[in-house]
Amino acid sequence: MTSAVACNSDELLAILMSREIRDWEISACGAVSMIPAAALLLAEASHAPNAEIIILGSEQLDRNLGKDIHFLSQRGKLDLFFHSAIQFDAEGNFNLHVVGDPNAPDLRLPGGYGSGLMSYTAKRILFFRTEHTKRTFVPKVDFVSGAMVTPPSIKRPQEAFKIFTTMAVLSFDRAANRYGLESVHEGFTAQQVQDNTGFELGDISNVPVTPPPTDEEVGTLRTEVKERMIETGTYPQWAKTILQPA
Amino acid sequence: MGVPYIPVRGLAGTDVFKRRDDMIIAPNPFDPTEETVVAIAQTPNVAILHALKADRDGNALLRKHGEDVMVAQASNRVIVTAEEIVDKVTADDEGGQFISAINVTAVVHAPGGAHPAGVPGYYEQDAEHIREYLRAASDDATYRAYLQKYVIGKTEEEYQAMVRQGSRVETHAAGGGA
Repeated sequence: MTSAVACNSDELLAILMSREIRDWEISACGAVSMIPAAALLLAEASHAPNAEIIILGSEQLDRNLGKDIHFLSQRGKLDLFFHSAIQFDAEGNFNLHVVGDPNAPDLRLPGGYGSGLMSYTAKRILFFRTEHTKRTFVPKVDFVSGAMVTPPSIKRPQEAFKIFTTMAVLSFDRAANRYGLESVHEGFTAQQVQDNTGFELGDISNVPVTPPPTDEEVGTLRTEVKERMIETGTYPQWAKTILQPA
Repeated sequence: MGVPYIPVRGLAGTDVFKRRDDMIIAPNPFDPTEETVVAIAQTPNVAILHALKADRDGNALLRKHGEDVMVAQASNRVIVTAEEIVDKVTADDEGGQFISAINVTAVVHAPGGAHPAGVPGYYEQDAEHIREYLRAASDDATYRAYLQKYVIGKTEEEYQAMVRQGSRVETHAAGGGA
């Protein structure tokens, strides 16, 4: 059943991304990943009770894997990983290092590890961004932290990647070598999404509407998931303030 | 590991790769259709690692999480600083990660040595001091002032006396992250 309850943007992204998490697979998120943590726990509480979930930085759900998670991913056995970025470009590159001239940046970001390694080897990457604008979706990123498209000689276990925003879901079409619109959220048109994206999204004449959050998803997120985040030391302050009362 | 280089899945096509001269893209010698990033081995001259406890032979118990042992094994010399010096540290000791004396060059008794970070079972991190450091590090003048106040010309004892004022460093059974 479709929910009449309005979600905030963090809740919306957590719900939409939770649907991508599959039962029996291994899915993980890195540090400072509140929305992915909620998505993982929502999936576990609903359609993926046997999923292995790893929430780095959580007091109880971190699993203390250290380098094991790195090597799991290098072996191609990490099924899903979450990532965010400050910029995404037409060619499948993303930037989590600097905004502006890399030698004299306007802004420095954490960059590094997940961008250059985890995003290469996890089978599916879910990117997420709460801002969908032309400063986020640019023709060419200021700095390439991760290249999701590399020559065929660079073998990687990667299967697919998508970007979830507050307006739409963009998925990369490897055959056409560009992003397309997988679906557009209720309240927006495909043209609005294109107008806020700094590169071409291809044919936008027949884009489906993203199935909106259901009452059940919203309810589980705001009760079971919220409680579990608080009791396991998984961004408890975020859970208390961002996830709304049931 | 002692190997001269290692293949890595990742980093290809990034500006990180382009800016570094310690990695190249090379063919897989067993499969000419594949190329990988190959990184040269990192061999630090000296690693300094802080332990919960150490013995006089150099056996030590390092923080539980993290890759300190790997860092030690990559380095030419390894100095272990420790909260406590005890008679014997063995691989059966709980609460940390064991490092054998065969990897350790020297041991230093340095209680409070992780400050402003914490040591599980000994003291929590000093969040207020970390904030002070971050504020100071935001520009050169304030950073120089910080160094003058806490580091330049100061002994370890003077530093510890300063940061312990107002009981910032407290013994805490639960401990924080090192």
